[in-house]
Amino acid sequence: MRGLIERLRGVERDIVQDPGSDGAPYYEAQGAEVAVFEAAWQRRLPVMLKGPTGCGKTRFLEYMAHRLGRPLVSVSCHEDLTSADLVGRFLLEGESTVWQDGPLTRAVKAGAICYLDEIVEARTDSTVIIHPLTDHRRRLPLEKRGLEIEAHEDFLLVISYNPGYQTALKDLKPSTKQRFIAITFDYPPAAIEARILQNEVKGLAADIAERLVAIASQARALKDHGLDEASSTRSLVYAGELMSAGLAPLAAAEAALISPLTDDLELAAALREIVAAHLPA
Amino acid sequence: MSDSGELALALVQSELKELSFVAHRDLNAALPAIEPYGIEATALWAETGRDLFLYDRDAGKAFLRQSPELARATSVVTPWTRQAREFLTFRGSWKALTAYLERFAEAQAAFGAERALAWGAIGLDWGRRHLGSAEIYFATPVAELTDGRGWDGAREVLDPLQALAAERGLLPGLALPGAIKVRALLGPDALRPWLARGAEVLKSGRLRGEAFFRLEGPESEEALLAGLPGFRTQEHERFLALLARAVLGQAPPFASGGLRFGARAFIETDGRTLFWPPAFPSRDEAIAALLHHAGHLAFGSYDEPALEGLFREAGLEHPPLDSDQRITWRPLFALFGEDMVRFQLLFDLCEDLRVDARVQARFPRHVPRLLALAHVPPTGAARPYYEAARASLAGLLDGGQETGRFTPLLAPDADLVTSWRVARAWYEEGDMPPLALADRALAYLPGRSPNSQRPVYPRSRGARVNEEVEEGGGAAAVEKRETKPAPVGPGHDPDLEITPEDTSGSGGRVGVGRPQPAAVSGYRRSLLPPGEGLPYPEWDYREKAYRRDWARVQERALIERDASCAQSLLAQHAGVLRRLRRALQAEKPRRASPHRRQLEGEELDLDATVTYVVDRRTGERPQPAVYRKRRPSQRDTKVLLLADLSTSIMQEAATGDGRVVDRLKAALLLFALSLEEIGDEYAIAGFASRYRNAVSYYPIKTFSERLTADTRAVLGGLSGRLATRMGAAIRHACARFETSGGRRLLLLLSDGRPADYDDGGDERYLHEDTRMAVKEAADRGVHAFCVTLDPAGAPYLERIFGRGHYLIIDTLDELPAKLPQIYLKLRRA
Repeated sequence: MRGLIERLRGVERDIVQDPGSDGAPYYEAQGAEVAVFEAAWQRRLPVMLKGPTGCGKTRFLEYMAHRLGRPLVSVSCHEDLTSADLVGRFLLEGESTVWQDGPLTRAVKAGAICYLDEIVEARTDSTVIIHPLTDHRRRLPLEKRGLEIEAHEDFLLVISYNPGYQTALKDLKPSTKQRFIAITFDYPPAAIEARILQNEVKGLAADIAERLVAIASQARALKDHGLDEASSTRSLVYAGELMSAGLAPLAAAEAALISPLTDDLELAAALREIVAAHLPA
Repeated sequence: MSDSGELALALVQSELKELSFVAHRDLNAALPAIEPYGIEATALWAETGRDLFLYDRDAGKAFLRQSPELARATSVVTPWTRQAREFLTFRGSWKALTAYLERFAEAQAAFGAERALAWGAIGLDWGRRHLGSAEIYFATPVAELTDGRGWDGAREVLDPLQALAAERGLLPGLALPGAIKVRALLGPDALRPWLARGAEVLKSGRLRGEAFFRLEGPESEEALLAGLPGFRTQEHERFLALLARAVLGQAPPFASGGLRFGARAFIETDGRTLFWPPAFPSRDEAIAALLHHAGHLAFGSYDEPALEGLFREAGLEHPPLDSDQRITWRPLFALFGEDMVRFQLLFDLCEDLRVDARVQARFPRHVPRLLALAHVPPTGAARPYYEAARASLAGLLDGGQETGRFTPLLAPDADLVTSWRVARAWYEEGDMPPLALADRALAYLPGRSPNSQRPVYPRSRGARVNEEVEEGGGAAAVEKRETKPAPVGPGHDPDLEITPEDTSGSGGRVGVGRPQPAAVSGYRRSLLPPGEGLPYPEWDYREKAYRRDWARVQERALIERDASCAQSLLAQHAGVLRRLRRALQAEKPRRASPHRRQLEGEELDLDATVTYVVDRRTGERPQPAVYRKRRPSQRDTKVLLLADLSTSIMQEAATGDGRVVDRLKAALLLFALSLEEIGDEYAIAGFASRYRNAVSYYPIKTFSERLTADTRAVLGGLSGRLATRMGAAIRHACARFETSGGRRLLLLLSDGRPADYDDGGDERYLHEDTRMAVKEAADRGVHAFCVTLDPAGAPYLERIFGRGHYLIIDTLDELPAKLPQIYLKLRRA
């Protein structure tokens, strides 16, 4: 199996993939999120994952897709993402036009879990087209072709949404929000976060993991005081990886925990001070 | 030879005998002390005494009387006698001479014989320039001048003074006492900039300048703060607040504790606010002090229950409150009478240790940092306290085994009362020496400071949570303002006491106008005192550096309204407006329509596709531009029109009837109406200034507002006031472009060069500052363009705005019609 995966690296693959039978992605449950998701899945109710960047939303979904044995189609939304990018478009091929399904249409047809990451970023027209998919109709209209697709019975729509992200100007319409079952994520409690770090980074000393978590908890107090995004679990994992790759702790923290987070000199100085207080030089 | 000496001496004696009984007696009384130095020296000395006496009786008497003492102290006579003769060159010199004779022995002891004469020569040089300077110079104790470093130390102070005296005509004696203090506070390198600033202030007003050199008043304080060495708290306030928030979960409000000479950098608190010294010796000490004191607030040193418990423990009833509902500490320490300082130190030591231990648990570098800072123990009685504090901190790092008597302080439920008990027990042991209040400051480790320096507002636990939630919002902000120390009293310049918004009066040389009384109808209002407002830096070309927070901009509303004037102006220019409107129709953007025939886009453009396919079939190789795109290709232009509202616009127009301001109003009205027609976002604002700390910015119409009848009435009611500090206004206007991106244009409408009342007559200063402001604007993506009415503006405008970034309107009557056209041209570019 491993050999197969090695062969697949760097090779184009279709976005709709059955989860492999080898080990599930690592996920450490923090609360009832697994049970809630499974219940929603049973009734095919669309799910919204709320929470700050890097707290494990995507990892959770990978874990659930594997657990439920469904393929996962992920789309990272951005501000120029239009409905055509999701549903599909006509392309010109030679002298005729050809319809090409977008990732959402593919997922609807294949009965996959479709994950629209950071949906707030997308243009409003693309958030509205998911409406008929999220209620009892479970249909995707293909306006341009004059068609409508009845969703596969295993299709599930999942969106992620980061409240208060960037600006207050971008927010989901209430009519969109209330169509979803919401699961709220936050950075895990210190003990769990330290365990996650040790699981993610092989060979990371427990002591260092705890220190990294202590740094993060203090840095998170600066969120909204100049820091748009707090130090995430992911950035702690990166810092741990750099250290286990042999980088000095301070340099690793600088590269993973400070520089990516802010360009603000004073803020960086404060973070540096916190890092230096907890990590050995 | 010796005969002639004796002869001369006898001659002097006989002369004085006839002239003055007193002088003769003094001479004879001093003779025995002088004679051992030889007859020639004695003769010269006697002649000098006589000459001085003839020239100025007091000088002669002072010389004769002080000589014996001086001769004993210096073991010479001739050198200072010769130098004393030079006092003959100016009148009324007796005070300076007396001081000289008193200090010469000190100078010789400090500098040696030769340099003592050089010391005297400097004073004489100053005296020739300004007699008072010599008096001050010679009256200054030599030890203060040298700062313990002999001639070099003295030169440190004297050289810059002499240089400035030569360059800018500064009276050196005036600045000498201040300069010595400033050197002690800021170090020798800061002396020159401080003196230069003082010379400038002196030029704008003698009283202000003298106050500056006496180190009084806000100007002096600002200049001192600008040169303060070490880690300046004001510059790093945000960093420190962030750090406190990260480590302790809350950032207490900060306020400046003011500048003190010769005192250690202590943080004080009233239980709510931390009062910072202006600077700490090092960054480490600042961080340690911050965490320590914020720790006091976070870990309950000033909590109400703890304070009440403390007073109960001490056997006092409810803590006494002052008129401001603050608890005073005095009764608590009064229990210990004479031995108060000893107990207070022990109590602070225990409480500090308790807090530092808890900070350490959150911030592992805290105690090591405190220990590293505490490497120079004081001498004397303070030393045992210092060492004990150090040892107790070191005990914390050993894993808590060596804590001894402090163990109760480290318990999780320890509080202020625990510290009191531990300190009390320790006090009873009596092993620490008594200490004078003067030495108390030395007993504290760097980063720590007396905890009970100010009366405190007790913190109730519930309130602290609220404070956190509302931080930055209304209540906390008001509170912060309340707790600020009272502003430093006004200086001695009567100019400064005029209300800042007195818009009447002559504009003087400001603007192009002839100086003339301005007839301004308007209101006088009491507004924000100077010093409030948004601070902006200013560029000083002489220092090649920014002056931090130099200019202060206050936003004010214009309250004059004149709707009828606006009406009549519009009627007057109706023809121009009609023509403009027609021209503008062509400029109007068409309805946002999709872009066709694009190489990429959301959808296929059917027409284009058909053409493309047909072309292909006929064997051509067309470009596959077959998509439709909905995005607009050009971003919108935003323009802010900034009008100079200085006094000079009130003058009569050179051509035609009426005043400059009428054309200005018409121009602004037409501009606003034109922009409404085009649909571009625009804002209009005016500015005027009166000194650097009172730059007024008048928003007339903001980007989001619509042009209303009221806005027109404001434009109709415009009037001129005060001067033109253009740089600050430009910086503020740039900040008013809230969004970035898009094309942003700052259109300046002025009638003269940048100038203000306090630029010390140096035109170039504000020019250079404005030039920097325009550069800064360009860096922020704001394009500045100046329209001026000053026909002689070309040389300086080209320097400030750059070639092609300004336009001179020669005939005033053209302005109303031209202004919108200029905008359109710029917009198209």
